[in-house]
Amino acid sequence: MTEPSHGNGPDEPTEIAVRFEATVHAGPKVAEAADVADLDLDRVPDPDGGVRALLTAEDCIRLLQRGYEVRLVGALPVRPLDPALIADDESVTRWLEERMTGIEREGS
Amino acid sequence: MYRTVAQLDSLSQLLASWFPQYFTRVQLPEASVQGRPVYALRLRAGVGEGRRAVLLVGGTHSRELMNPDAIIELAVDLFVSYRQGTDVVYGGRTWSARDVKVILETLDLWLVPCSNPDGREYVMTVDNMWRKNRRTNAGTECRGVDLNRNLDIVWGVTQGQTSCAPCSDVYCGPSVVSEPETRNIRYLLNAHPIDCFADVHSYSELVLYPWGHAPTQTANPAQQFTGLPTGTCTTIGQPGYQEYMPPRDLMRFQTVGQRIVDAITAVRGRVYTNEPAVTLYPVTGSHSDYAYSRHIANPRLRKTYGYTLETGPWAGNVQDSFHPADPTLIKRDAKSGLLALVQQCICAIELVGSRFLGRDSEVSALRRVRDNLLATTEAGRGWIALFERVQTPLIGAVLEDERLASEAVALVESAGLLADNQDLMLSDEDVARSVALVQALSHRAEPHLREDLEQVRDAVEQLRGRSMAHAVETLMHQAPRVGRRGQLNGS
Repeated sequence: MTEPSHGNGPDEPTEIAVRFEATVHAGPKVAEAADVADLDLDRVPDPDGGVRALLTAEDCIRLLQRGYEVRLVGALPVRPLDPALIADDESVTRWLEERMTGIEREGS
Repeated sequence: MYRTVAQLDSLSQLLASWFPQYFTRVQLPEASVQGRPVYALRLRAGVGEGRRAVLLVGGTHSRELMNPDAIIELAVDLFVSYRQGTDVVYGGRTWSARDVKVILETLDLWLVPCSNPDGREYVMTVDNMWRKNRRTNAGTECRGVDLNRNLDIVWGVTQGQTSCAPCSDVYCGPSVVSEPETRNIRYLLNAHPIDCFADVHSYSELVLYPWGHAPTQTANPAQQFTGLPTGTCTTIGQPGYQEYMPPRDLMRFQTVGQRIVDAITAVRGRVYTNEPAVTLYPVTGSHSDYAYSRHIANPRLRKTYGYTLETGPWAGNVQDSFHPADPTLIKRDAKSGLLALVQQCICAIELVGSRFLGRDSEVSALRRVRDNLLATTEAGRGWIALFERVQTPLIGAVLEDERLASEAVALVESAGLLADNQDLMLSDEDVARSVALVQALSHRAEPHLREDLEQVRDAVEQLRGRSMAHAVETLMHQAPRVGRRGQLNGS
């Protein structure tokens, strides 16, 4: 069984610093990119129906060694979600209160 | 903006405490692997037990952030509509206050906005591309199980995007249903009469239905997953293997899936694709396959139509596809699709039987005719689909009109009697009563349903004086006419 290294480490600290968004293609030694299934990659949907995945550096090496062609399209540092995308507590409560305007509460 | 686990929990707690007649918050039997409580929220209105139920699950994959928010917002939208008597408007798709009233007074909606709270917390605080739960995997430093590979359907068979390697992001877990988060979903499926299920994921604008582990075939009932080994950590190992599904179920998956797609498209024109899950890539142990497979593995269990939604478009890169800066419009699309699924879960005949007759005998007899006779031919399945298409928009009209409701009850009683004794003849009175009801409904129906109702009326007229057996035989071989959109109705 292939043992990929995806940085799935304990909560603190994480094992890897970066993942790569990449597309994987048939190469000189591999006829079908879809054969990549047995490499246990973190595949994500690809808009063109190809093989797109989030890869560690080790994944890239394994793929290249197996004869695939790997095209890196982005680097994604391992980091928390942008705090600007996270709602604050007050706005969450306010949203619910506004949605319930005019509806009498039955309970506490 | 995305809500934290605590904020999602707080919203469900507030809804249950402010409106206890409508919302019930239930702490599921098992805490997450890191000890966080996992909650389900039930939404319903009116009285009556033993209702059909729908289960919507979000947050299975941690980084797919928008769906837990969409599910809790859907609950709020429905409740506000019910209490205020207002329509639910999602862009170009309107769900009338009457539609919502029927839904909430007929079904139990079970919502698990965030089934994997540890993962969501981890995404927000450590690693925004985390997918799995946060299990510690013995013998390795790698954490996490892919919850959507852990269920009891061909578990541990590494077909396609499924792995037995603990460090893989598609790790199926150390044993079947090993995770408390998946056991919670199994618990809900066991504890409640769940007829429709959706596990809501992101991204790629798909509505997926079983099967996920192999292509679907409708010809060979002997070839089914119960005969496959599990836990092998190898592929299925049978070249060309295809999984059986009865034609009637496949038709229903496709028909309801298309209604989900249509409801989404009507919002702002996004066109989701309705397809078997294996088309995206093969997987085993998924929630939606498990939900549907249960009644096959154990015939005593209820049949649940299980879907996976993949919400949101490709946004040019993975990060923006999983975490769009403003997911508002995607959530609106998703809510419309989920509402279509919920609405399709209503069965008008069952509702009449339980609400007005207080018994199941007629409904059972009619169900036998549907499943054992009509469902076995393409023409018969066309009639089933036609009925399912017209019932949902019209049930509200029937329930609101005492005279119509009374006629519908009489008709179900009569039809149930005929279904139980197929030598009985359809009398002039039966036919006249049926035609009168159909005509009354036609006056209340949207124009696009009138063609369907006319076909029902014409078919009933033809059956006058025939035995029920003859009538059913006719319907099994004489399909409804092709519908407006060039499809055999319902196909």
